[in-house]
Amino acid sequence: MKINKKKLISWIPRIVVLVAMLVLINTQLYQSQIIDTLEYGFVFALLALGIFISYRILDIPDLSVDGTFALGVSVSAIVASNGHPILGMLLGLVSGALAGCVTGVLITKFKVQPILGGIITMTALYSINLAILGAPNLSLWKSPTIFKLTESIFGEYNQLIMTFIVLAVVFLLMFWFLKTQIGMSLRATGDNEFMVRASSINSDTMKILGFAIANALVSLSGAMYAQYTQTGDTNSGTGMLVVGLASIIIGEIFFSQHTILSGLLAAVFGAVAYRYILSFAMSLGIDTMYTKLLSAIIVAIAIALPVIKKGVLNAFSRIKERGGKSA
Amino acid sequence: MGRVLEIENANVVFNAKTVNEKRALKDFSYKIEDGDFITVIGSNGAGKSTLMNAVSGSLALDSGRIILDGKDITHFKEHKRARFIGRLFQDPLKGTAPNMTIEENLGLAYSRGKKRTLNIGISKKDLSMFRERLELLGLGLEDRMKTPIGLLSGGQRQALTLLMATIVTPKLLLLDEHTAALDPVTAKKVMEITDEIVKNDKITTLMITHNIASALAFGNKTLVLSQGELLMDITGEERKNMTVESLMQLYSRTASDSLSDKMVL
Repeated sequence: MKINKKKLISWIPRIVVLVAMLVLINTQLYQSQIIDTLEYGFVFALLALGIFISYRILDIPDLSVDGTFALGVSVSAIVASNGHPILGMLLGLVSGALAGCVTGVLITKFKVQPILGGIITMTALYSINLAILGAPNLSLWKSPTIFKLTESIFGEYNQLIMTFIVLAVVFLLMFWFLKTQIGMSLRATGDNEFMVRASSINSDTMKILGFAIANALVSLSGAMYAQYTQTGDTNSGTGMLVVGLASIIIGEIFFSQHTILSGLLAAVFGAVAYRYILSFAMSLGIDTMYTKLLSAIIVAIAIALPVIKKGVLNAFSRIKERGGKSA
Repeated sequence: MGRVLEIENANVVFNAKTVNEKRALKDFSYKIEDGDFITVIGSNGAGKSTLMNAVSGSLALDSGRIILDGKDITHFKEHKRARFIGRLFQDPLKGTAPNMTIEENLGLAYSRGKKRTLNIGISKKDLSMFRERLELLGLGLEDRMKTPIGLLSGGQRQALTLLMATIVTPKLLLLDEHTAALDPVTAKKVMEITDEIVKNDKITTLMITHNIASALAFGNKTLVLSQGELLMDITGEERKNMTVESLMQLYSRTASDSLSDKMVL
């Protein structure tokens, strides 16, 4: 791939900020915390990549995410506890895709409002997840996980390497897919539906496909989370959409170009940065129960920021005008 | 010369069975021959856009049939008809995906009618072809192929949409006042490009316009619509001898007809 020099230069300040952040965190956190946080970041980067598909590419906030994350957790936990951790990951992915199709069909074929379509799937999944897991939570302490399987191969940094490998494979697949004919059709669907239909693309099919991929990734994130934390908890999906959105928004501070590579990198880096912000906040003594509040505030501020900026600028110019007149 | 499009007794009714009932197309029938470039004029509410939407499939007929190249497409969905029909909207923003680059938009348009696969969207061979086609537009866009389309002007976007609609030669090209939202100089330029492409590729075309001069200057037939019906079909000698003034009179007469109707109501 050819690297544009101008682009590279524009990235330098962002990388400097990132490094500064990392150094700050480095001085506040123990080494084991730093690595743990990075692992969590990689796990939740999958979630952010999924939400990137629905929220940024299709331009529809998909609320089924809270349900499909817990779906991945439940499926992965129950299958792993029966001795098949790898199958658990795969089934987590597939079940998420199916749930995404349900949301997609509701929205396109039955004309349910997008937000409501997601809420319907999410609500249905509460019961389904409980039914799958058989209990509100399940410990995987004694069960095999993908991490325990590979411990002998990768040794001390096993968890870091495993989470990174899964993320890297997904990242490369996504980058390739979004450049294919179908991937381009998907991107255009969120960008301009008129143009898509006029180009003989079925926009309904594309939306369903997009929701399937988005929720497959979210569910995969849940599946890995369950095996990483060695617990299956049907409540673990609560607030995941906002967590993913916060990740994307943070990431876009660093990667603001409207290219596919930039968008995908924003999701991954944002997810990691978000985890470090949380760890940093906790090292200052903030209770973990406030983490969701923190993510909600980040998202609210980030979305409100352009409006606030405009209001402040207007106020300033009005003050200036008045000052000018009296002088 | 075969027939490209046959419209048979097409009816479209808005707000049926209410006081606001409006018959936008009344038993409309027309046949478009292969290679025709037809311009359509008529006042607001004459049914021009309804006709266009009915042919493109964004609006379903209440009765009647639409036959494209011998195939009954009356019940085909919009995206399915788009395999054979290229279309330009009045709004230049509607025809292109703003966050995607010029080459990506062209790549999407170039796969029109084919099955989309997991092959990479734009091949090297395609790129050099896109470049050649962009050069023909004479807008310098061939050097900006990696630019997101949202950064282009309305005229540039409309010219690109035209290229996208014709890059795979369609059986029928629909132009819905596609220069109306552009400034006069750009509109003229886009209209010239349109004429060139239509002539070069011998594309059967249906063009709605509010510009009486271009309705006569371009194409080989002119239709005048009024209240969902075909008022006049101007062709051959009659069309050659027609002046802008005389057509203007016709046009304003249809306009005043619909106006007086409204006043009666």
